[in-house]
Amino acid sequence: MAIVNLQNVTYKYPLTEKPALQNIDLQMKEGEFVAVIGPNGAGKSTLCYTLAGFVPHFFKGELTGSVEVARNETSKSNLHEWVLNVGLAFQNPFNQISGAKYTVFEEIAFGLENIGVPREEMKGRVKEAMKMTGISDLADRSPYSLSGGQQQRVALTSILVMQPKVLVLDEPTSQMDPIGTREVFSVVRTMAERGMTVILAEHKMEWIANFADRVIALHEGQILVDGKPGEVLTSDVLTEKGFGISRYTSVARRARELGLWKRDTLPVTLEEAVKGFKE
Amino acid sequence: MSQDFLNLLIALAAVGLVLGWAYVTKRMQKDFSSTMTWVLIPVAIAINISIGQLVLVLKLPVYLDSIGTVLVGVLCGPWAGALTGALSNFVAGIIFDPGWWPWIPVAATIGLTAGLCANAGFFKTWWKVVVTGFLIAIAATIVGSPIAVLLGGISASGSSIITAFLLQTGKGILESVLTTNFLVEPIDKISTSLLAFAILDGLSARYLARFPRGENAQLDQQRRTSELVIALVTVVILVIVTIVFVVPLTNN
Amino acid sequence: MPDRLSFYLKKNSIIHALNPFTKLTLVFAIVTYGLIGAGFWTATILVCLALLPLAFTARLLKEYLGVAVKLILPTAGFMFVMQSIFIPGGTTEIFRLGSISIELETVQRSYLIASRIFLFISAFALLLLTTHPSELMTNLTQRGLPPQFAYVIISTLQIIPQMQAKSLTIIAAQRSRGLDTESSFIKRIGLLVPLVGPLVFGSLVEVEERAIAIEARGFTSTHKKTYLHEVPDTNLDRAIRTILIALIIVAVVWRVWPS
Repeated sequence: MAIVNLQNVTYKYPLTEKPALQNIDLQMKEGEFVAVIGPNGAGKSTLCYTLAGFVPHFFKGELTGSVEVARNETSKSNLHEWVLNVGLAFQNPFNQISGAKYTVFEEIAFGLENIGVPREEMKGRVKEAMKMTGISDLADRSPYSLSGGQQQRVALTSILVMQPKVLVLDEPTSQMDPIGTREVFSVVRTMAERGMTVILAEHKMEWIANFADRVIALHEGQILVDGKPGEVLTSDVLTEKGFGISRYTSVARRARELGLWKRDTLPVTLEEAVKGFKE
Repeated sequence: MSQDFLNLLIALAAVGLVLGWAYVTKRMQKDFSSTMTWVLIPVAIAINISIGQLVLVLKLPVYLDSIGTVLVGVLCGPWAGALTGALSNFVAGIIFDPGWWPWIPVAATIGLTAGLCANAGFFKTWWKVVVTGFLIAIAATIVGSPIAVLLGGISASGSSIITAFLLQTGKGILESVLTTNFLVEPIDKISTSLLAFAILDGLSARYLARFPRGENAQLDQQRRTSELVIALVTVVILVIVTIVFVVPLTNN
Repeated sequence: MPDRLSFYLKKNSIIHALNPFTKLTLVFAIVTYGLIGAGFWTATILVCLALLPLAFTARLLKEYLGVAVKLILPTAGFMFVMQSIFIPGGTTEIFRLGSISIELETVQRSYLIASRIFLFISAFALLLLTTHPSELMTNLTQRGLPPQFAYVIISTLQIIPQMQAKSLTIIAAQRSRGLDTESSFIKRIGLLVPLVGPLVFGSLVEVEERAIAIEARGFTSTHKKTYLHEVPDTNLDRAIRTILIALIIVAVVWRVWPS
């Protein structure tokens, strides 16, 4: 049973002519971890907003086709009901701080207060979520006193604590160092293993190869390739359409042309590349 | 002094009636229908306060401390504008000095007037914006002068020096306060409105459409020469109106 | 520029422990009495017999006096002096210098206005000194104020220091490029645009993302809100409020009643 089901979705922002998404068909299973790649303007963010209900409820504009998450139709639902099922975190950590709270603990509880979770349960859930993302020691700090990476983890925790069925992440690691990125990816992986469905727009190919179950490549609002990370990330189409690809893939491709790469498939990560070159 | 108290009660009742009427007739709800309004208001207040301080640093002879209020009035509506103005002075009272609090009704009037003018389509070309600025100044004067009189005519603001001068030339308190306001307010409020207009001009139509009354700020495309003529005529009329209002007052 | 954006000072006192709404009622009562009390010394007496003992009980006497001297006295004092000198009227001349004369009646009237302003403002200042803004707003929300108001007030208090930091950075950057706040009038007007532009556009463009972020966290939810922190409301609070409201009603009725 697909928890996310997009059928023939086309969307235009208000006052624009060109659709931002075109004929998107996408099904996702419960607990699946799907990465979305694509150059800037390919429609990654729009796809994220569509899944999270902000298209069309917040952005208005013209949506055709059907968007279904957890058996709810977006056109028959309200945004404030929709966000109970689908959580959204995005790129700029600073703009995700509510501003209505003085400490990290209160900040993470903000969403739970809004949806009316009883006090004792709220405290438990906040503590648990902070432990999971490794920010328990920040509880009493002001959210504004944190570094970008810490703020991004607070933003992620603030969404996780609401326990959505589907988690939508729009380039959440773009402001993070490798250590922070690793933490985010491993938390997200854990959530997927516990049954949360994750869709992640991301540029960092090696991380996707290591963590995601499936990759979708978007180009000019359309799905270009959809498949296993190993296949999608090394496909020649990506290079043709100007996607940024992993440096290990480019090195191995050049090596294959020179007859130095013996395997059928190209590598995405350092480990794969090292193994392949050793053969 | 009991008369002052009675007047205050009457003023409060009038404000209550207007708010009640706007709420019951659902005029107020549209302004606050979007989360954009609630997020814009704090930003607008911060803009008011920051620009107000910048102007002090640059030692310009205006306040320009209600650009944010005018922006909210135009983009979200008169009631949201009024709330922004009121909260702006309230917050300034908390963080600088509580001398801002008596002027809360004036700040609210500025936002309200800006919103009403914008709803009437008077924030779409720059000469209309000049008119809006002038109307804001008139409204601010009407509301502000009784408050100034209630506070004894002289407060800690810079323009009080003019009031003090006029008082020394033998004029009454109300007269001096009104004259001062007619001298100071139009320049300040027209500059404020024009700056707000320039800011809106720099934002994309797609972005503006996200606000409850974004259509108020979709600017008209008009021919330059006709605009210039109309603007000149407007300014001349405004000058005449000001003289007609102020001169009799000072001569009385 | 202020270092902190709320007056609040944490102390372990009975005043701090009172419910914020009780303190608000108290301020309202003091303001009402100050407004309708006809006596010349009413405001002064209220400051001495109500506010000073309250500040002492809250263990904030020093801080309260500090706020009064630094913030309120300059405003009220300036008004008192200026009005005493410049407002005409009155017959009992007590001082004369050239064309400027000071009359007893004007001084009295000015004192009445200034002392009232001092009373109102310092009553609010005492409320803010003893109540955390977040606690105050939470409590008012629990009592029916739309939750959006709490959001607006608290986030304003948090945005302003950031905006001020930003505008200081911009001023510093412009200074290093030769900004001169002492230059000619026209030049200074010209300076306004490069200073205001980055400040305003940056923060306006952020509005959309910030609206999305709080909507994603149920800001527009129609569920009944719950609260992380409990704001205690004791029997003592309710008793104090009842007495205060009774006192306000008595005062208003006594004043408005045609005598």
